[in-house]
Amino acid sequence: MGTENPGRPNFAARPVAAPYAVTPTMTPFSSGPVVGTNQPGPRPTPPIIPQSTTPFSSPRPAVGTDASGFRPTPPVAPQSTMSSLSSGPLVSEASGFRPPPPVRFNDPSVPPPPTSNAPPSVGPFSRFPTPPLPSTTQAFPSRAPPIGQPPFQPPVSQGLSPPVPFRPQQQIPPVPMGSPPQHVNYASSNVNAQLPSDPSFPAARPNLQPFLPGYARKQSSADPQVQPLQSPYLANQGGNFPAPPMASSPFVGHQGGYVQSPSVAAPLGLQSMQHPGAAPPTGAIQGLVEDFNSLSIGSIPGSIETGVDFKTLPRPLDGDVEPKSYTEMYPMNCNPRYLRLTTSAIPSSQSLVSRWHLPLGAVVCPLAEAPDGEEVPVINFASTGIIRCRRCRTYVNPYVTFTDAGRKWRCNICSLLNDVPGDYFAHLDATGRRIDLDQRPELTQGSVEFVAPTEYMVRPPMPPLYFFLIDVSISAVRSGMIEVVAKTIKSCLDDLPGFPRTQIGFATFDSTIHFYNMKSSLTQPQMMVVSDLDDVFVPLPDDLLVNLSESRSVVDAFLDSLPTMFQDNINIESAFGPALKASLMLMSQLGGKLLIFQNTLPSLGVGRLKLRGDDLRVYGTDKEHALRLPEDPFYKQMAAEFTKFQIGVNIYAFSDKYTDIASLGTLAKYSGGQVYHYPNFQSATHGEKLRHELARDLTRETAWEAVMRVRCGKGVRFTSYHGNFMLRSTDLLALPAVDCDKAFAMQMSLEETLLTTQTVYFQVALLYTASCGERRIRVHTAAAPVVQDLGEMYRQADTGAVVTLLTRLAIEKTLSHKLEDARNALQLRIIKALKEYRNLYSVQHRLGGRMIYPESLKFLPLYALALYKSTPLRGGYADAALDERCAAGYTMMTLPVKKLLKLLYPCLIRLDEHLLKSPAHDGPKSVEIRLPLAAESLDPRGLYIYDDGFRFILWFGRVLAPDIAMNLLGPECAAELSKVSLTERDNEMSRKLMKILKKMRESDPSYYQLCHLVRQGEQPREGILLLSNLVEDHMGGTNGYVDWILQLHRQVQQNP
Amino acid sequence: MSWDLIFWIICFAIDLGLLASTFYQLVILTDLEADYINPFESSSRINSLVYPEFIVHGVLCALFLLTWHWFLFLITLPMSAYFVMLFLKRKHLVDVTEVFRLLNAEKRLRKLKLAFYLGLLVIIIFRTFTAGKISLQRSEFGELDLRSSFLVF
Repeated sequence: MGTENPGRPNFAARPVAAPYAVTPTMTPFSSGPVVGTNQPGPRPTPPIIPQSTTPFSSPRPAVGTDASGFRPTPPVAPQSTMSSLSSGPLVSEASGFRPPPPVRFNDPSVPPPPTSNAPPSVGPFSRFPTPPLPSTTQAFPSRAPPIGQPPFQPPVSQGLSPPVPFRPQQQIPPVPMGSPPQHVNYASSNVNAQLPSDPSFPAARPNLQPFLPGYARKQSSADPQVQPLQSPYLANQGGNFPAPPMASSPFVGHQGGYVQSPSVAAPLGLQSMQHPGAAPPTGAIQGLVEDFNSLSIGSIPGSIETGVDFKTLPRPLDGDVEPKSYTEMYPMNCNPRYLRLTTSAIPSSQSLVSRWHLPLGAVVCPLAEAPDGEEVPVINFASTGIIRCRRCRTYVNPYVTFTDAGRKWRCNICSLLNDVPGDYFAHLDATGRRIDLDQRPELTQGSVEFVAPTEYMVRPPMPPLYFFLIDVSISAVRSGMIEVVAKTIKSCLDDLPGFPRTQIGFATFDSTIHFYNMKSSLTQPQMMVVSDLDDVFVPLPDDLLVNLSESRSVVDAFLDSLPTMFQDNINIESAFGPALKASLMLMSQLGGKLLIFQNTLPSLGVGRLKLRGDDLRVYGTDKEHALRLPEDPFYKQMAAEFTKFQIGVNIYAFSDKYTDIASLGTLAKYSGGQVYHYPNFQSATHGEKLRHELARDLTRETAWEAVMRVRCGKGVRFTSYHGNFMLRSTDLLALPAVDCDKAFAMQMSLEETLLTTQTVYFQVALLYTASCGERRIRVHTAAAPVVQDLGEMYRQADTGAVVTLLTRLAIEKTLSHKLEDARNALQLRIIKALKEYRNLYSVQHRLGGRMIYPESLKFLPLYALALYKSTPLRGGYADAALDERCAAGYTMMTLPVKKLLKLLYPCLIRLDEHLLKSPAHDGPKSVEIRLPLAAESLDPRGLYIYDDGFRFILWFGRVLAPDIAMNLLGPECAAELSKVSLTERDNEMSRKLMKILKKMRESDPSYYQLCHLVRQGEQPREGILLLSNLVEDHMGGTNGYVDWILQLHRQVQQNP
Repeated sequence: MSWDLIFWIICFAIDLGLLASTFYQLVILTDLEADYINPFESSSRINSLVYPEFIVHGVLCALFLLTWHWFLFLITLPMSAYFVMLFLKRKHLVDVTEVFRLLNAEKRLRKLKLAFYLGLLVIIIFRTFTAGKISLQRSEFGELDLRSSFLVF
């Protein structure tokens, strides 16, 4: 079939990795010089770039002359709205806000700026009324030293970047105050807010200086001059604010700006949600808030009585939030569902990379499902040929620039000037835009799909091909698996992609291998048995793989008879290895997808496996990891062969006993497939899950014989890849069959010590055969700015991508190390990152007993904790069966970001109130309130659902209103819930519940969530199903959330 | 002609063979990195050389021991032990699925082997010289210089 060399020679023959036409053409990465100025022709908001790149770097003169000068470039470009506000002082606003405070605050330090302006922040404030100033003062002296005596020439400021000048001072108060904790802090913060409210204002106004409360007082004795200055101000303040004019207008403006900012920030969820107490919203603090988040923790290190409020810890209750800032900045980037960078600010130098302790890389999901209306446009360049850079083979994308009146275009990745082919030529208008821009989706959208001409094929596009290899030994028969599989396949036959060309074939095995001749001229399939396992052969060259549409009736007949055919089989052996070899021989002509339904540990012929993992003594030793690796090199070799012949393998494992998923999963791992594990499968209970997942596997859009490569600008290179695929060359991922549920992670490194460009571009190209028989290239392009500032890197971090990469690295580590080592490595990495981040700020703001972290990574500790407790990494021998551990590991290696985050931190939702409500109030929102995953969230009077994307667990509280249980479960509600199944009953409540479940399943169709019921106190089921998954709780020896935070904090504070 | 000289010449040939094999593997790995060869091909080529290499190295080591060349035996022994360890850990073959991840380590290993065999070669050549000289001195031609001793062989 293959036009050229269909068989192995294919590969061997061509030195240049020929089978994939792409390869030769794609030269790895641009070697060309990158022009420093990348002009994105049509980029809408270029101005921002400079800001973000050098957020804090603009060195500010110690004494700013005027307000406006003070913050030309809002340090935190996107996130903190405040920045924008601050730059434009609004006097009016400031004045507006002032009125309220007068009464309460007679102290200079007191003025509570936020009240009127920032409603959200008010809450926290009210808690700390007006701490007496004195206390602050007292506190100050003690920590004053670092501040630097000369009130105004903060020595620190010079050395440090812009924010510094004033920050140290303003912040001082909040920070050190640790001991008289919040109150004091509070006061001080207020104080600060008032005067220097512009921390960044350093020396802006000389007369303001005195304001620093701490300073003023402290120095008063020493420095008489200061006093006078201060007093006027104080008077004003105390009296009230009517006197704004006194404070020079700019100042006021700033205040206003600042003050306001908290209010702005609050909506962002910064303060309000997290540290009501800890981070006073006042102006002074604002500076802090914009840079990082903090958690106040007991001031005495190591003390048990900590100030951590369990309720205020950050939790991702809104699910995964994709980073917005840079998609706004680069609107032509592909949607983050396709490509997410761990930080959207690329470090400019090696030294920055080494200080960014988290993984630097990307998570790519090239075929992610797009909602209706956002499908990737398909472009056919028929006559022109696909436009690519001559040198680096980059595909034309929105970031290329046209010059020379439209005759040339400059590659954005290697900046080579290419000719525009005649057919593609278009004039440029006055602004340099192509006049036909509107008709060219490839020049306006980050994601496009090109139809590939014949140069991109080594053989005619293959038809979709499905081959089923089904275990029919006695345990498979007993579990009912065969019947479910046969029925599901039959029901999906109409929906298999690629209709008239689809090919299909079947083989079954126990101690022998059975093939089925399904020639279209037959009425009944013919079975052929091969019992020579040492020298497997395919009994019939053709007709074992048939065209589905031609042989439809035979296939139907086969599937109808399959369950009964082996009804009485009592064979307990499994010749899995030989069957695998036979399938390879059969499929090697075309490639395709091999679905293996496996129930018995392979026991005959090559590739037989033995029971392992029962030996407790191995755990905790250096040999432990071997249990998670394939036992027999046969499986790796087979996996490589499968990939070579474009065969993707999906494993469905059903055994109730050990089946060595570690070995079997290898087949899926290196062929771009996935592992479905149904431990102890019984068709009555798990049938539905298998039915849905198999149907999805068969019918979802699949890309065949694909290869993927990610190109990026000069100086940056992807060095390691993590996921289910096989590398065909250093940067080319071979993916025999890939679909929307697979994501790939990769890490990058800098090749040069210094990046000179302003922007780095990434381009993901997936060359594949669509089911319809068209060869296509899906191209996603994204741009990210290069920064010199470490803080900016942390600010632009994307927790989802970071967690995905960390997960994959940790799981890979379990394959060569002990579980404990993998967990420790994970923890160490997070600690290093937090420590580095802390060091960025601790000099300027003495942070005492507070834990600080970037806003963007606020959920990182929690996800890390969840990962710590996830199935592949948790505990030791007893905490998860070896097979489950491995299966979960294989699954998590492929999951896209959103699904992984949901698995790590599942939804917990209270349902009973919703069910009781009349349909009239049936707001869609009511079901979406997620609760923290802690036992505290569970009310014995409630009914809760736990959804991790793979299963639902319905938890019935002990004192749940009996009518709810009655309505939902019928008369069986008193029975043990493990034996009860949830079915729709004839009442409103049950229907409603089913509707909710259905909706939740539809929102996440890649897996089917089977519903498990459990009643409070029903041990050990409750413990296994739910309690062990409440990641915020203590569980045998592992930390709860609060302790975890404390532990991290302690370790972060420890000096190296 | 002395047995000693024959022995050294055999050793020379064996060592040269090992050197060539290692160099060839290194070239394949470099090609693989540069994408001139696909991983399936390269690992099957390398793997086909692994066992012969182990065996030949073992033979060389045994030869030294049997002929009571303590020094050279001790030099080759660690490498033999290393090969045995690799074999026992089943890491002696190149894993085609992970070849890119291990590429650098494999290359470094082969460079070290290359250096080792080169060093060994130098020693062997030296000993060959000496043996040749001695055997010549013992022969009737006695007074011939070194160059002529080479002409003989």
